[in-house]
Amino acid sequence: MAGIGWKLQRMIDHGSLSGTIAAYLTGVAVTSAPWLLTTAVLTSLRLVSRHATGDFVGVERFLTVVYAITVVLSAPVHVVVSRYTSDRLYDRHLERISPPLRRATALILVGFAAIGVGLVIGLRLPLALALVGAPLTAVIGAQWLMLSVGGGMMSPIVLLRAFGLGAPVSLVAALAVERAAPAGGAGYLFGFAIGQVVTLGLLVRGVARALPPTSDESARLYPAFVEYRVLAASAFAYYVSIWADKIVVYVAKGGDTAAFYAAIAAVAWFSVIPAFAWIYVQVETAFYQRFRSFYTELEAGAPLRELKQHAELISVEARRILRGAAAVQVGATALVVAAAPRIVDVVALSPDATPLFRLAAIGAGLQVFALLEVLLLTYFDLRRDALVICGCLLIGVTTLTAICCAIGWPPVAGHLVACAITAVVGLGLVRQRLQTLVLDTFQSQPFGVA
Amino acid sequence: MATADNAAFASFGLVDDPEVAAPADVCLLVEGTYPFVAGGVSSWVHDVIRGHPELTFSVLFVGSYPGAHGERRFELPRNVVALHQVFCQETALPPLDGAGRAALREQIRALRIAIDARPEPSRVLSGLERMHVQGEAGAEVLASLACNDLTLPELLHGRPSFQLLTTIAERVAPDAPFLDLFWHYRAIFAPVLRLLAAPTVPARCYHAVATGYAGLLAALWSHRTGRPLMLTEHGIYARERDMELSRADWIRDEAGGVSEPRSTWAPRISPLRRLWSSFFKALSRIAYVQARHIITLSDANRAKQIADGAPPEKIEIVPNGVELQLSAVDQRQEQSEQPSEGRPGDAISLQKRRLRVGFVGRVVPIKDLVTFIRAVDIALNDVELEARVIGPAEEDPGYATRCRQLVSRLGRSESIQFVGPMPPAKIYGDLDVVVLTSFSEGQPLVILEAYAWGVPVIATEVGACREMIEGRSDEDRKIGASGFVTRVASPKETAAAIVRLARDVRLRWQMGAAGHRRVTTFYQRRDMLARYRALYTGLIESTERI
Repeated sequence: MAGIGWKLQRMIDHGSLSGTIAAYLTGVAVTSAPWLLTTAVLTSLRLVSRHATGDFVGVERFLTVVYAITVVLSAPVHVVVSRYTSDRLYDRHLERISPPLRRATALILVGFAAIGVGLVIGLRLPLALALVGAPLTAVIGAQWLMLSVGGGMMSPIVLLRAFGLGAPVSLVAALAVERAAPAGGAGYLFGFAIGQVVTLGLLVRGVARALPPTSDESARLYPAFVEYRVLAASAFAYYVSIWADKIVVYVAKGGDTAAFYAAIAAVAWFSVIPAFAWIYVQVETAFYQRFRSFYTELEAGAPLRELKQHAELISVEARRILRGAAAVQVGATALVVAAAPRIVDVVALSPDATPLFRLAAIGAGLQVFALLEVLLLTYFDLRRDALVICGCLLIGVTTLTAICCAIGWPPVAGHLVACAITAVVGLGLVRQRLQTLVLDTFQSQPFGVA
Repeated sequence: MATADNAAFASFGLVDDPEVAAPADVCLLVEGTYPFVAGGVSSWVHDVIRGHPELTFSVLFVGSYPGAHGERRFELPRNVVALHQVFCQETALPPLDGAGRAALREQIRALRIAIDARPEPSRVLSGLERMHVQGEAGAEVLASLACNDLTLPELLHGRPSFQLLTTIAERVAPDAPFLDLFWHYRAIFAPVLRLLAAPTVPARCYHAVATGYAGLLAALWSHRTGRPLMLTEHGIYARERDMELSRADWIRDEAGGVSEPRSTWAPRISPLRRLWSSFFKALSRIAYVQARHIITLSDANRAKQIADGAPPEKIEIVPNGVELQLSAVDQRQEQSEQPSEGRPGDAISLQKRRLRVGFVGRVVPIKDLVTFIRAVDIALNDVELEARVIGPAEEDPGYATRCRQLVSRLGRSESIQFVGPMPPAKIYGDLDVVVLTSFSEGQPLVILEAYAWGVPVIATEVGACREMIEGRSDEDRKIGASGFVTRVASPKETAAAIVRLARDVRLRWQMGAAGHRRVTTFYQRRDMLARYRALYTGLIESTERI
């Protein structure tokens, strides 16, 4: 992610408020845009459905499931493709990005279209919804792929433009189509899909412009999947953990309770946006520079004492980011907790949801903290440790949510405790690894292998 | 990663398993020479084996990596019962794909967990620390190394090994680029561990024909088996490595980039060069400590060995020897090489013929062929010359190419010819002067062979060259000079000597005759073999008492 890191740094170094805001908005776009948009759409849909006719409940359920499935199933692909792209950027073989990316995009489009068909059949959607729903699933999956590749390659402005244009088009088109044509939910879904296609188109164009005109058709992605399978597993575990509690609640308590719980969790998740953006910008700028300077000095011939100093600076920076993320998240969570009754009212949830919403907001904050720990460990290529955190989160969320359901406690409490345990475990791992950074860097090197 | 370790020790031809083979009388340990590389030391080893038909020999060849040395260059004599090979490095593996890298990563992770669970500290690691941090290389270090309780994975991935690396970095090489130090640390110690793990070749006595890796292995086996060790040093191994290190372009002296290749042999000390240097010196001291006899070729080398830690009472000088070529000398005399007094016309006719100057040796940097070429170039300005480079050029093709390019650039392609290796009988009968410009030598067989043919020699002042040209003892000196001694890397001095011999036929003949008298009196093969026979007999009889 070095490319976008320098671009973010330039925005910040510009010294103006607008530059800094642009940097953090980029962070928002890269980290949160797809699900932010989705949540916004779902919330809008809920608001509109109180006054309009049509099968909005079905549309809402379908979109929720589509996003959940695309996020979970495409996460391993995105991580591997993103890592593969970063490697090619590092070794300056950009011509080896395009062919596997084309194939991965085709696979995603076909694969998710098939999944979309399966969904519309499984959810027994009307034909009109099904005709739009299946392609929309494929478009959303491809969007994620382009975002993961483009995040490291193209200008943040392109990302901002893609989502900045796509989101309003989606909303406006959805409302316009729904009102212009008496197609009910299908019309809304079609309008929404138009915006998503615009976003995807802009992302594809941005990536294509960042790639060289020549390409090495012999480049293959499969070896990267094998090499980065632990990373892929981490990503899969993390994204499943986001939805695991909802599935557990659906199984244990039924569809209505699950929908209620999912709505609370979705709205509470908004509270992590500032921390997400802060983490993204800080990791890609200040932390990356510390990290890079360690390896630059290493390669330039720094003696041990200087390397130890640089390792200590990384450690200091990592601690600063952890503290900073905690501070930003605590602030956001405190705000959300304080404003919980108002937020619950605005999103048309029952007033009884307020305490649960507060717990969900705290849990979401802890989950973001765990994600930061995963990011830091991934930076040091400590894939197994990252997997341990993600696995801990998945197992914890699933188990504790199930236990809470079983003993009659609110499921959100299980989620919160699981996130807290994971955050603590992750913190321990990060601290431990930072202490042995130099040792791990060297003693993990192979010998006699090209 | 360690898949090629099985190939680290390979025996072939005569026995398969060194540990079950019948012990030879003598196990000769050589590094990078016999029987795979042509050269003076290899010829000497071959000669020693052939000269002791009553003894059985096993030969242990220490090579860099499997396949590096090609086919054998010598037919093994019948009294060689086994030829074993041990390699310092493994064969380079092809690049790994994603799956391979992932598997390797998991392997290393599992290894690190297992290594960290090791209950006892390694004695080998402690020995290596004493070598490099405390500067010790005595019997206790040898005993620690002989334990062989450190595996290669433990060295590469273990925490205690990294602790030693950081100790070296902090106390021995605080300014060294740590990344380089890390790889050099591995490059230094990984071969040592492979040698420590090599199965012992049984023998009644061990004879290392150098210190270095062969000397280390011989000392280890001698220590483990209680069998005596004899060490013969032709050149001084540690000093030769120092010279190579001083111009090695694979060592980064300071942060920022790899140093440029050196055009001279001026000494240059950097932390990493010091590390390597102290390592080779430690290897020498270990061999010196364990050896019962240390054989050298000259007083000059003896002094260097003592300076490097060899106990003086163990050192004995046994010069090399050659078979005399009486018929060849007669042949040269028949060719009227000797100018007749009172017949100046003969001398004039000889002077009119172009002087035939030969460089005889391997075309490698340590022989400094560049100085020879430059010397001939300078001399050609004054006299007519025909220069030949006689010796194999495949050992360092890059260097050979640079030398050829230099000849071409100087416009001397017609005067300086690369003729490749030739049998001695064809070399010296057709030369008037032999020139050696080496940076390092022991007691060059080339000089003795030239003397045997009555050919005078111009040689740099390295090893035993001055003794061989001007005489070692009073009796020797009375014979007179058999050539000229020049400074190392001094083309002008070498050229001046060539010009002088080219212009003074009488001097050339006198020096050739002195050389022949010298080799006849002091450097006969039979004398050298008789001394080694006595040494071997003494060692073997002492083992029978065991």
